[in-house]
Amino acid sequence: MKTTTKLMTLALCTIGLSASAQNIKFEEYDLKNGLHVILHEDHSTPIVAVTVMYHVGSKNETVGRTGMAHFFEHLLFEGSENIGRGQYSKFVENAGGGLNANTSQDRTFYYELLPSNQLELGLWLESERMLHAKVEKIGIETQREVVKEEKRQRIDNQPYGNLFGATLDAAFDVHPYSWAPIGSMEDLNAAQEQDFIDFYKTFYVPNNAVLSIAGDITIEQTKELIKKYFSTIPKGTKEIPRPTVKEPINKGEVRDTIMGKDQLPMIVQAYHIPAQGTTEFYAVDMLNQLLAQGASSRLNRSLVEEKQVALFSGAFTYNVEDPGLTLAYSLANMGVEPKQVEDAMNTEFERVKKEEITEEEFQKLRNQIESNFIQSNSTVAGIAESLANYHMYYGEANLINTEIQRYLAVTKQDILKAAQKFYIPENRVVIYFLNDPALSK
Amino acid sequence: MKNILYILLAAVAMTFAACKATQVDRSIVPPAGPAPKIQIGQYQLFTLDNGLKVIVVENHKLPRVSYSVNFDIDPILEGSNAGYVQMAGGLMSAGTKTYSKAQIDEKIDYIGADLSTSSSGVYGGCLKKHSEQFLALMSDVLMNPTFPEEELQKTIKQTLSGLASEKTDPNSISSKIGNVVKYGKDHPYGELQTEETINAIKRDDLVGFYNKYVKPNVSYLVIVGDISPEEAKTQAQKYFGTWAKGNVVGVKYKTPAEPSANQVAFVPVPGAVQSVIDVTYPIQLKPGTQEAITANVLNNILGGSGFQARLMQNLREDKAYTYGAYSSIDADEFVGSFSAGASVRNEVTDSAIVQFIYEMERMVNEPVADSTLSVVKNIMTGSFARSLERPQTIANFAYNIEKYGLPKDYYETYLQKLNAITAADVQALAKKIIRPKNCYITVVGNKEIAEKLNVFAASGKVDMYNPDGSVFVDLKAAPAGVTSETVLNNYITAIGGKDKILAIKSYEQQGKYLMGPMGLDMNIKVKDNAKIAMTIQMNGMEMMKQVFDGTKGVSSQMGQKADMSEDELAEARQQLDMLFEINYPKYNITATLKGIGAVDGKDAYVIERKDANGDVTTEYYDVNSGLKVKSISVNKDGEEVVTVETTFLEYKEFNGVKFPVSQKQLMGAQEFSIQVSDIIINPKLDDAVFKTN
Repeated sequence: MKTTTKLMTLALCTIGLSASAQNIKFEEYDLKNGLHVILHEDHSTPIVAVTVMYHVGSKNETVGRTGMAHFFEHLLFEGSENIGRGQYSKFVENAGGGLNANTSQDRTFYYELLPSNQLELGLWLESERMLHAKVEKIGIETQREVVKEEKRQRIDNQPYGNLFGATLDAAFDVHPYSWAPIGSMEDLNAAQEQDFIDFYKTFYVPNNAVLSIAGDITIEQTKELIKKYFSTIPKGTKEIPRPTVKEPINKGEVRDTIMGKDQLPMIVQAYHIPAQGTTEFYAVDMLNQLLAQGASSRLNRSLVEEKQVALFSGAFTYNVEDPGLTLAYSLANMGVEPKQVEDAMNTEFERVKKEEITEEEFQKLRNQIESNFIQSNSTVAGIAESLANYHMYYGEANLINTEIQRYLAVTKQDILKAAQKFYIPENRVVIYFLNDPALSK
Repeated sequence: MKNILYILLAAVAMTFAACKATQVDRSIVPPAGPAPKIQIGQYQLFTLDNGLKVIVVENHKLPRVSYSVNFDIDPILEGSNAGYVQMAGGLMSAGTKTYSKAQIDEKIDYIGADLSTSSSGVYGGCLKKHSEQFLALMSDVLMNPTFPEEELQKTIKQTLSGLASEKTDPNSISSKIGNVVKYGKDHPYGELQTEETINAIKRDDLVGFYNKYVKPNVSYLVIVGDISPEEAKTQAQKYFGTWAKGNVVGVKYKTPAEPSANQVAFVPVPGAVQSVIDVTYPIQLKPGTQEAITANVLNNILGGSGFQARLMQNLREDKAYTYGAYSSIDADEFVGSFSAGASVRNEVTDSAIVQFIYEMERMVNEPVADSTLSVVKNIMTGSFARSLERPQTIANFAYNIEKYGLPKDYYETYLQKLNAITAADVQALAKKIIRPKNCYITVVGNKEIAEKLNVFAASGKVDMYNPDGSVFVDLKAAPAGVTSETVLNNYITAIGGKDKILAIKSYEQQGKYLMGPMGLDMNIKVKDNAKIAMTIQMNGMEMMKQVFDGTKGVSSQMGQKADMSEDELAEARQQLDMLFEINYPKYNITATLKGIGAVDGKDAYVIERKDANGDVTTEYYDVNSGLKVKSISVNKDGEEVVTVETTFLEYKEFNGVKFPVSQKQLMGAQEFSIQVSDIIINPKLDDAVFKTN
């Protein structure tokens, strides 16, 4: 039986990789005020995604004002000089469109998905937001409560909702990645009007933004409209602060136990890794794939299927602009000691440090990468966001077509080296989330 | 104007100047261009000889193909082994006649494909160039599953862990409790999986489901992506043509009805900072009808996904009670559902419910303004158009047309049907399906707020439920004449009576302490009702030992010795007292009869015992047998509080006295089992065993 499988596998190996992903064409240029524009034309469906990405996230916040970037994202739906309070969504929805926004550690992203004949409406709305947003006190107070409810709903009232925040807090001592974008209740309560004015003037300027449009458009007409609505927006005059502080690595193992009402123990390990885009980063990302992508991945096979110590075991790369983390986490099966689960996780980490991965596994990773890559650009909204991301973080929007080559350049030896370099105890945080019976009664 | 904040005070002036220069009047909303034509993609349909209907949607944008086999079978009422249908579906990919689960997983991952199975179908996709390898596996999983016993046991264990973890997830509790009250446990939609039903699942149940229902003549194969209809036909025939057909019988269920008046179901969750509110009831609404489209319009006005929906505007944008408030109206072949809900902070729970009811009443009592109606039509038209970006949408349309027998042009004429809807149509439907006086209001949240919700229940009282959907029973009063003394005396009689008990001076008990895959050997020796020695061993290695010689006690763990504390000594003395339950006064223990509760559905007297040090233990004595069936103790260990729940599953007689021989213990989510294999009464025991030095 075993030999048959191997033969089959060897036969499969010859499929190889053609990296035949579609080539996404786009045009990009800068306006005089520094706004970077990216346009992608695709007429398959009569819709258009109008998006603006601002290079500001929670890492640009200061201690005492955590959650500011995300709170501000809510406020920027309130209105502008020409758009009355609460009218943003009306304009978009009346036109048959959808809209939303989200805030990460590194950027804030706004988008409208519109029928393609409403492109100009989208440009008008986004230019109003960039030029002269207006926020009334009543809006601030309402959104303050809404954001607090968002925090309660997504974090405080969720099983293991504090997992991410607690891990960041334990992992980062000096870098602002030590808090999650939602911020703290105290800081949300403390935010003042002047804070918003300063924040807007500093970060919401064309030279700190990417306007990315994809869909059923014609490039020339779109350029004209962009000129009409965005060229007169003044360039920002303030310096845009970005954290320069470097989180030290290998600073010794941090261990913590957090008691909560969740029933099953959750075990989290986080290792510091280099910034996204570096060669080592791609090797770490492939390691995570080896550990956690698909049912045959090592953590699932070992902890869930064979040892049966975990109900679930996964890992992912927390890919952020500055050096971030790779996280592995396991939910213990009922009656299993957390230590037993951690030991099983460590066994897998030891294994990737000791042995080079097999040729078969290596080929699997490359096949998965190709498949993921092809699937990742199936909608115009997704394409608009990816183009903006690649420009903002790497200054190279064309990575939408070529980033796969960076993955394919990673060797088995690179993966082994990355494991040996980063998956070491003095470079990690280990947190047990345990049940406190007193809280569950 | 004082309360208005202008951001960018300085820049504003500059901007106005700039605008003037280029003559853009920013106050004018840009007009829309000519409306683009909305085109719905085409699909192909054909049927194989075995009755399998095949739907093909060709789309060459990405070099990828997705395949799904959908089983069109009626919902199944599972009963005492609820959960087996879901497990059968999930375990179809856990082993075939040719491959083990590990081999299947490896093969699928190797080609970067996805494959999943459930009780409603088999789904997956891959790059076009891998489609032959993929289909070989997919058809194997579909046609030759073996449901290995080992994989079943693994899944049972995981499902039990999953159930335990759901006990603190307010959203999963909310959906469970909603289903229980809305459909009832006698309807497949209202059935719940519990520890008992999961443990009752056997491999035969899974095989039975598979053999009875998984047939090509009740299934659809849907192929979407980079493939021509000819290629699809060849593949369908090659990989699914040999699937044998068979007769599948439909089932009818009694249709659940809305409640005659509002009921409130509350599930307490310790430490909750929000209430998950759901206002819900069953409705009659068939998919693919004009009424279903009108219902969709109605729902979009009330609480659809748009920001302008009334619930969102009222509860979030106006009152800031929540991050989001939504409603849904689901059409269903058997029984549909209305639901409106939000997560709100504890203190506004009652105010939020008032607003839900208010908005529902408004839908019934007032016709919607034409402007509102046209906005919603625009939203729905836009979302319809956007959904066409995904080729999967076309496949879903085709599937619905075939499954529900809709007219072939149902989706082509969808926008016309939508546009024809009037405000009067919406109100007429609202009068029929919006029932602000016939709902179940379910709330999952902090127990403290439950009482404030009594006003919303027609009965004047909130019904309390447990997180697993079972009814939370308040204790019933014990009949007159029953006191803690009578219950405890009864217990002594039930286990054999004073005389027989006192005839036992010494004994040796052997058994096992089981904890997941770990088994520990346990031995207890008691001599002359005065000395006790307990040991716990693993594979012959001593892990723990406690010895009490009548005055002094020593406990050792892994060879580390320590003198027993005052509390531990008291505990040992109590353990040696064969008539402990009727000697409480001797130990300064007070016992209070709280009433009658239930253990596994059987009535039991509940006695709360308070020890001298303040520790509280709640014990349950079966009303009929008089035996102790359960004990929940809350022990303080320094700052920490540990709750231990022991269930006495079986008693066995030794020398006329009943001893518990099978016990289950729960500490948090940790479960232990204690199994006694033998008890020797009045053996000769060497004094050396009880030496404390």
